[in-house]
Amino acid sequence: MRARAAVSAALASAGILLAGWQSGVHVADTRSVVAAASTGNAAESSSELGTSGTSGTSGTSGSSGTGASGAAGSAGTGSAGAAAKAGGTYDGDVVQTRFGTVQVQITVKAGAITDVTALKLTDHEGRSVQISNYAAPILRSEVLQAQSADVQTVGGATVTSDAYLTSLQAALDAANL
Amino acid sequence: MQQTSDNRYRLRARTFTCMGTVISLTVPADTQKAPGAAEEELEAATAVVERLFTELDATFSLYRPDSEASRLARGELVLHDASAQMRARYEEAAGWRLLTEGAFTPERPDGALDLSGLVKGHAIKEAGTSLRALGLADWCVNAGGDVLVSGSPTPGSGESWRAGIVDPADRRTLLAGFPLGGAAPEGSGSGAFASDGGGKAALATSGSAERGDHIWSVAAGASEFRQVSVAAADVVTADVLATAIVAGGTPVLHRATALWDIEVLAVRRGGDLLATPGFRR
Repeated sequence: MRARAAVSAALASAGILLAGWQSGVHVADTRSVVAAASTGNAAESSSELGTSGTSGTSGTSGSSGTGASGAAGSAGTGSAGAAAKAGGTYDGDVVQTRFGTVQVQITVKAGAITDVTALKLTDHEGRSVQISNYAAPILRSEVLQAQSADVQTVGGATVTSDAYLTSLQAALDAANL
Repeated sequence: MQQTSDNRYRLRARTFTCMGTVISLTVPADTQKAPGAAEEELEAATAVVERLFTELDATFSLYRPDSEASRLARGELVLHDASAQMRARYEEAAGWRLLTEGAFTPERPDGALDLSGLVKGHAIKEAGTSLRALGLADWCVNAGGDVLVSGSPTPGSGESWRAGIVDPADRRTLLAGFPLGGAAPEGSGSGAFASDGGGKAALATSGSAERGDHIWSVAAGASEFRQVSVAAADVVTADVLATAIVAGGTPVLHRATALWDIEVLAVRRGGDLLATPGFRR
């Protein structure tokens, strides 16, 4: 549950980063309004999640948006017909959430987010947490193994009472009579 | 230490037939108790579980012409006038249909109400509630391949129950294993078993290889998966999601792993496997 919550938090952070990136675009095109934009963002939101989008290869820095929705809103509705040609990778701040520590990185190409990766995701005990519980292809040799002599119960698609008679579970049950 | 406790407890099992399959109840019997006491306790517990299964089957079986479910399916009874438990299960199934975006459904393609995809899981869950009410802390219920456990096969040790999952291509061999239950013993501190997969107590498997009659594929045609096993904290969730993934294929698999705290091992038609990290060795 905690991992799942952390994933949500990570996705929220991705949203925040998007805001940061949008701010970055503004910064790139209209450097003079950096301070104003940042202040506007900060004032607009009082979210407990502090974060900032720090630009990477586009060469701009210093844009920061505090909070999630507020920053996204103001960045999105800002002026400047910013040609969204910026690309690169952008790291988010390390954010303390109630689920643990989260930091994500987004990759932007041609103005679109093409990837979101977790740079850091740990629970409160400091153990790393998987970002997703995705079911991925796996080799048989990589699956948790079990020998029939070493299990106490056998799962499988529902067996009929007839099929039960020749099942591994029947053998186990007989051994434990 | 381990050897001592292994010798103290010996697994005992009892079985009965219901819902077209065989239900097994396994408990660790304390050999230090008076001879026969553990057997009596197990017999009594099995009788309670069997009665529970039998009563649910009498109400919900579509194989019994006189069941309430059959009367509903024939239109002799409308849901509004059905028993409270029938309406409760229908409501539960309808909720799952929404949550799985239709992959799990309480209706057959012909429109007849069919709660059999839910009733076995519900029966196992109720069996667990009854066993706890009887004061039993360590047990394993296996109903035709769907498993719910409590405690440990070696009481007090925190050791997990070890479940095997049959290979659908060869039912005499195991495809994989999964640890179930086995929380750290009470009052013995914490953290000893923190990495046991979250201590999931239930493992349910659905397949299209055998008796897949309650699984209706969302898309016409054979299911993409031959067998899907889902481990979850509760058996109804595991059972419903295993059924839904077989019915709905990969999109439902990914939806399920994103939305629920589950571990999944899915076997594709060709034998390839998909697994969440909890099924990795």
